[in-house]
Amino acid sequence: MTPFHTRLLGAAVALTLVTAAPALAQQLELKVMAPAAPGGGWDQTARAMQQALVAAGVARSVQVTNVAGAGGSVGIAQFVNGAKGDGNQLMVNGFVMVGALAMNKSPVTLEQVTPIARLTEEIQVIVVPANSPLKTAQDLAAAVKADIAKVTFAGGSAGGVDHVMAALFAGTIGADAKKINYIPFSGGGESLAAILGGKVTAGISGLSEYDGQIKSGKLRALGVTSEKRIPGVDIPTFKEQGIDLVLANWRSVMAPPGITAEQKKTLSDAVEKMVKSDAWKGILKQKGWDDAYLGGDAFADFLKKETVRVTDVLKSVGLVKS
Amino acid sequence: MSDLPQDPASRRVDPAGVVIALALAGLAAVLVWDASQLQSNNPYGMGPHAMPIVIAVGLGILAIGNLVEALRGNLPERESADPKAVWLILGGLAMLIAIIGLGGGFILATTALFVTTATAFGRRAILADLVIGLVLTTLIYVAFSRLLTLSLPAGPLERLF
Amino acid sequence: MDAFVALANGMAVAIQPMNLLYALIGVLLGTAVGVLPGIGPALTVALLLPVTYKLDPGGSLIMFAGIYYGGMYGGSTTAILINTPGESASMATALEGNKMAKAGRGGPALATAAIGSFVAGTIATIGLAFLAPWLVDFAVNFGPEDYFALMCVAFVTVSATFGNSPVRGLTSLFIGLTLGLVGIDKLTGQARLAFGIPELLDGVEVTTLAVGLFAVGEALYVVSRRHHSEEKLEPVRGSLWMTREDWKRSWKPWLRGTMFGFPIGALPAGGAEIPTFLSYSTEKRLTKHPEEFGKGAIEGVAGPEAANNASAAGTLVPLLTLGLPTSATAAMMLAGFQQYGLNPGPLLFAERPELVWGLIASLFIANVMLLVLNLPLVGLWVKLLAIPQPWLYAGILVFATTGTIAAKPSVVELSMLAGFGVMGFLMRRFDFPIAPVVIGLILGPIAESQLRRAMSISLGDPMALLQSPVSATLLAIALIALVAPFVMQGLGRFKANED
Repeated sequence: MTPFHTRLLGAAVALTLVTAAPALAQQLELKVMAPAAPGGGWDQTARAMQQALVAAGVARSVQVTNVAGAGGSVGIAQFVNGAKGDGNQLMVNGFVMVGALAMNKSPVTLEQVTPIARLTEEIQVIVVPANSPLKTAQDLAAAVKADIAKVTFAGGSAGGVDHVMAALFAGTIGADAKKINYIPFSGGGESLAAILGGKVTAGISGLSEYDGQIKSGKLRALGVTSEKRIPGVDIPTFKEQGIDLVLANWRSVMAPPGITAEQKKTLSDAVEKMVKSDAWKGILKQKGWDDAYLGGDAFADFLKKETVRVTDVLKSVGLVKS
Repeated sequence: MSDLPQDPASRRVDPAGVVIALALAGLAAVLVWDASQLQSNNPYGMGPHAMPIVIAVGLGILAIGNLVEALRGNLPERESADPKAVWLILGGLAMLIAIIGLGGGFILATTALFVTTATAFGRRAILADLVIGLVLTTLIYVAFSRLLTLSLPAGPLERLF
Repeated sequence: MDAFVALANGMAVAIQPMNLLYALIGVLLGTAVGVLPGIGPALTVALLLPVTYKLDPGGSLIMFAGIYYGGMYGGSTTAILINTPGESASMATALEGNKMAKAGRGGPALATAAIGSFVAGTIATIGLAFLAPWLVDFAVNFGPEDYFALMCVAFVTVSATFGNSPVRGLTSLFIGLTLGLVGIDKLTGQARLAFGIPELLDGVEVTTLAVGLFAVGEALYVVSRRHHSEEKLEPVRGSLWMTREDWKRSWKPWLRGTMFGFPIGALPAGGAEIPTFLSYSTEKRLTKHPEEFGKGAIEGVAGPEAANNASAAGTLVPLLTLGLPTSATAAMMLAGFQQYGLNPGPLLFAERPELVWGLIASLFIANVMLLVLNLPLVGLWVKLLAIPQPWLYAGILVFATTGTIAAKPSVVELSMLAGFGVMGFLMRRFDFPIAPVVIGLILGPIAESQLRRAMSISLGDPMALLQSPVSATLLAIALIALVAPFVMQGLGRFKANED
């Protein structure tokens, strides 16, 4: 066998030459990691970025890589270790990763990556079957206070955004979050069936997932988690019903640790340019995602606050040991 | 006919069977230990330990069952195997894993496996197989990365594309 | 009958020459991508969806249907020819299908798979058209306790895959159940048997286990015995096509497979694995040639393949009537519909009947195309087996590892693949059956989470399992299936004594 390392070194040198050249020409060659299997939400976001970055002329080429595993814990570990200081790499992530890292006792945390921007978000909703006696969020709150064990919530995986929301709901109305009877289902389809079949009291999910059911009258929405009413959606917010529950399932994009301020600015500018492009707007419309662009330090602050909030909630339900 | 006592030689204790029984018992013990590390944070219904314990009990019973079979010598006859060929393929798999782990890329890794496997199956033309392996895996790599935009691990060879 | 008129209209659109061409291209692309390792039907559809963007809605819908069916058939092709099931639904196909291929009967195996898929797809499509509203009420009312009872039926019937010794068969099953525990517990988010390795938190991938046990294990076993008898593969022994006997032995399994696949596929958590294995077990029990099972019985390919295809059509029931995507593939199809401004849900049948019936007609046409395209290709596929043994097995191993590398290129995952290969080799050597391991890995976690969900809802009251009529009935069936063989055996002995 030929000496393997020499070749490796040669390739590395070649790569740096290749990647350095286009930076001069204001033409990026980017690698975007989706820390999930192909097909999922993060992968779709990464591929949408790929499409929009190239279409908007921000980058000459974008390559998407998938590193699946444990809610992104495997991907972020590889990203932090493997892409350190590389100004041409990005990683997609979101709300779910915050909880996953805490629950899996991941040695790598979100503080180690360089936040670039929040891209999209989805508002959450609580629904009950049409024949349920519960009419408003306050009815549900009363039922939870009366006997918390008997109120079953169906939603996504343990520690995910739906679970966090159930715990926040209980906490906000003054019930014991630790005692919520939350039943995780894999995939929205399965939990929706359980709600429609009346197997559980209420269901929690992203609004778009239950949109059709709500419009057709098979499900009744008790409230949405947005700050203000969503235009065109006839569902009251929790806030206007006197329950201070504001939450969104966001997706964002991160850069590796150890990049220079200049590299960070290049990437931030590229993402900002992409978000403003028609290509990106077209994709958002096609996929039904809401634009929630938040860049720079504002996003870094937001990320810190979300991390604290989610970790506290997960501690309160016993998913993360304090 | 078949109920008559068989040739006493085949009724001897089968050491491999005893090893299998011990391994199953060990697995059961690992399950119980692992389950004891879990905390039940679900106040309703069954906790996460119930299933591991049930399976551990089952494995324990099966360990006894396999031990009885082994002591009676009820395991099937085994033909002599060719350990060299098996180790050659396992070596190929180990090389594959090492090359991927060290960042040598998809083409080199799978070519290594191709050549060792072909050799294990009795071929002696390593150079020819090397070329065939390289062509085959390069085609696969191009199909995945160019046509499907799925990225396989890249090493020195992949970067040439 | 409005439905008939609507279906006829849909057909009229789908059968236009241009649309037939799109269907053909779709099937061709779908099959080509579907045979690639590690790419199941869901990913095939995901990857090829952009191709359909450029066409008008009618054309893209029909090409989409073609890609979908082609992707499914591609997975079965690799399962039969090289023992490398691309997804868990074609696992049962690999059991007998690969044995048939090795015995020179790969042609009939591929043919019965294609025709069985067609028959099942057609019947299930008709079922979708006429039974959907009724079936969906039943499906939605299927609660966790009912799923658990269904799992019990499945567990009892898997003994058909147990091989020669119940002790060794159960041992295999329990090893599978143990592997099913690995990873994050779905209900409490805690890690079990992960030993602090992050890659293990997602659990053992079914395809990694199956490809390790089936393909890698087989290669190791064959090479270890090479000096005994040079195994000569004859690609074609006897007829390349299905003989009259093959037809006779296939048509009933096709129908029975459809009966399992369609209703279970329509259940939101039904999936394709349970019906394929139920079909395999049933065929093994009912066959007139029990001696051929394990050596390549055509019934064991015909039934599971029909069940697989019918369950795929079944998942369209909740998707079209409720907007419920109940599988990864269904989720991709939902994405496909949305690009035509089609929002599946309760109102779809009422608001856009022409699109729904157009889709159903497209599925039917795509199914026909699959048959037209793939039957002539059977001869070509089978030629693959004529490759000299060293290259054939080297190619199989490259193919098998590529699947894992494409899905998860990590050292841990590849080590697991190699480890399962060694396990498959040892299990073959000591005559432990392999299928129960995979079944345990698939069914164990489902049974556990459904039972625990049921217990959470009933606040720990086990009587909930008997209070639902569906679950009580299914549990009774499981009990009968468990006891019946012993009773029959007793009766048999009783009779024998009388003689």
